[in-house]
Amino acid sequence: MSNGSVNSQTILVVGGGIAGVSAAVEAAESGYEVVLLENAPTLGGRVAKLNRYFPKLCHPTCGLEINFQRIKKLKNLKIFTMSSVAQVAGEKGNFTVSVKTTPRYVKANCTACGACAQAAESDVANAFNYNLDTVKAAYLPHEMAFPMRYVIDPSVIGTPEADKIKAACSYDAVDLDEVESTFDINVGAIIWATGWRPYDPAKITPYSYGESPDIITNVEMERLAAHDGPTHGKILRPSNGEAPKKVALIQCAGSRDYNHLPYCSRICCLGSLKHAAYIREQYAESEVDIYYIDIRAHDKLESFHVKLKADPQVSFRKSKPASIEVGDDGGPIVKGEDTITREVYARPYDLVVLATGMEPSNAQDRAPVTIEQDEYGFMVPHQGDKDGMISAGVASGPLDVSMSVQSATAAALKAIQAVSSNA
Amino acid sequence: MNALSPDTKKKYDLNFARWVYENVDGGDRLSMCMQCGVCSGSCPIGDQMDYGPRKLFMMVRAGMKEAVLKANTMFNCVSCYNCVVRCPRSVPVKYILHGLGRLALQEGYAKPKEVDNSRFADAFWWSVSKYGKTDERLVTAKYYFSAGLSEGIKRGMGNMKIAMGMIKTKRMHLGMPHKTKKQGELKAILAKAVEIQNRNHGEG
Ligand SMILES: Cc1cc2nc3c(=O)[nH]c(=O)nc-3n(C[C@H](O)[C@H](O)[C@H](O)COP(=O)(O)OP(=O)(O)OC[C@H]3O[C@@H](n4cnc5c(N)ncnc54)[C@H](O)[C@@H]3O)c2cc1C
Ligand code: SF4
Ligand code: SF4
Ligand code: SF4
Ligand code: SF4
Repeated sequence: MSNGSVNSQTILVVGGGIAGVSAAVEAAESGYEVVLLENAPTLGGRVAKLNRYFPKLCHPTCGLEINFQRIKKLKNLKIFTMSSVAQVAGEKGNFTVSVKTTPRYVKANCTACGACAQAAESDVANAFNYNLDTVKAAYLPHEMAFPMRYVIDPSVIGTPEADKIKAACSYDAVDLDEVESTFDINVGAIIWATGWRPYDPAKITPYSYGESPDIITNVEMERLAAHDGPTHGKILRPSNGEAPKKVALIQCAGSRDYNHLPYCSRICCLGSLKHAAYIREQYAESEVDIYYIDIRAHDKLESFHVKLKADPQVSFRKSKPASIEVGDDGGPIVKGEDTITREVYARPYDLVVLATGMEPSNAQDRAPVTIEQDEYGFMVPHQGDKDGMISAGVASGPLDVSMSVQSATAAALKAIQAVSSNA
Repeated sequence: MNALSPDTKKKYDLNFARWVYENVDGGDRLSMCMQCGVCSGSCPIGDQMDYGPRKLFMMVRAGMKEAVLKANTMFNCVSCYNCVVRCPRSVPVKYILHGLGRLALQEGYAKPKEVDNSRFADAFWWSVSKYGKTDERLVTAKYYFSAGLSEGIKRGMGNMKIAMGMIKTKRMHLGMPHKTKKQGELKAILAKAVEIQNRNHGEG
């Protein structure tokens, strides 16, 4: 449909996190042709890396699994993983999008038998676990991966190890000759669901991230608590593998701060309340201190806050810590002023968790397009029917999962309106 | 004098916060303070202050004019800037403290002679405005004696050993004070600075 006078009714969704998957499924179930692009080898985005969801503490895989079942029934939904947008030309009703795909080196007939991983020798950083551990150079991104297909790390390509990996596959699913490729698609509307990334904690210099292994971030905490994480679900001090007795959770680490992210990231208060619950569930003796400016448990989620407040082992300390220092024993010390008692404190902890905020995915990860952005780089959501570009999920602002899904449904509807108004 | 200027007869003044917002350098940002405690928690001399900056700012808002202007907080700040660089709301804490200190002296809540830091600042300024440089020996002497003759002798004697050491290592010299070369230009610069200050803050 390269003829400019013919309008495309295909909807492109960029980003396969919970928002992108929801938008793609909703639009496809309404009968439209949909193409979904995901940078990573699997769908699910950041949600797949969460241990549990607040407030009910259910498992994220459940919500994702339902969506994957829906995907399997949809012939009109095409998914490209390890793929991103290189360029966008054209306008509403007639965009030409060039898609760049990086090689996985494993074909669709992979049965996920795992023989290649056993043949692989070298270890590579495990991105799924925020590099807290390693995987073999031939790996399944995670237990619930969708598609359920292995990946070969590019670092071994061209080495004898790659040949060994290929030889180990009895299904002939390994293709070492795959190369980066680019192809064009013609679409009528684009939904950007490119999500977020955690704010870089190293930028908050007084908090000494990287100077003690026992100062970690909230996203790392999710992996420590997850059964398929680096510690198989046991929350342990990274420095010595022991159970932490005293844990500090530091709110607004980088958010609500003109030196960092000026806005409230909205989910990290609940994220930390959830982390307090993880710790209290695993260790009856443990004490958890939550340092906060004010607790923002939005909407109906205040009840989760109230529930944790009832736990005498969980203390809420109204103070934004001024600094976190590393003590002589290598353990973290949290310093600041308690704004209620006015006490200037310096308290040692076994584990400190920084509740880092969400910033929009790197503009470079995104595509070279002109979509209206707010002053923080989030893409303004309410304009789709006008110019054929719509944003959904955290790409449009800091949202939790249920709000991301709501915004995805809205985005699907706007995309449908955008392509139908051309017909 | 500004119409809203603090009235020394009143202990509390509900206009005080507004007055500070409008008249103290950086005061307009004070309204952005969210009482998070980072400034007080970052302050190396917090335990030598009547109130840390956060609490002092709350008192400004509460109209506790007299207690604020009689506090030693402003005079004990050593301008390390920890609070300024860390404040998540870009409140220029140090500048506001210094502005409040100036106000406290100006309005007679603090007596320059009774404030150690103020006497030191006077001695420092005396040397800089006279010579364009600080002369450690003269600044120290002037500061010590500002507390009275006997106190001056006592402090001077007490620090004799340090002074001798500094002379030996040429950190302090005897003889004529060092001066900047073009004294005339120095005077002109200072006169201009006074003119700008008066323009910004009004006489007095
Ligand atoms: C510590 C923590 C705990 C949390 N816990 C909860 C919780 O318990 N409950 C809850 O409701 N919410 C929670 N959240 C919030 C939740 O993570 C987000 O709401 C959710 O991830 C939003 O999904 P999304 O699809 O918008 O973005 P993402 O999950 O970031 O997905 C975006 C996807 O787009 C892909 N992508 C990005 N750029 C491109 C590109 N150019 N081309 C192709 N693909 C691209 C990415 O690889 C990614 O897969 C938590 C957040 C944090 C930080
Ligand atoms: S690539 Fe081959 S060996 Fe590896 S998991 Fe897939 S089918 Fe098994
Ligand atoms: S949600 Fe809570 S921790 Fe996160 S930025 Fe907002 S107030 Fe801070
Ligand atoms: S650090 Fe800034 S915002 Fe926080 S209490 Fe101090 S002045 Fe207020
Ligand atoms: S500048 Fe003054 S108030 Fe601020 S931290 Fe340093 S000494 Fe304390």
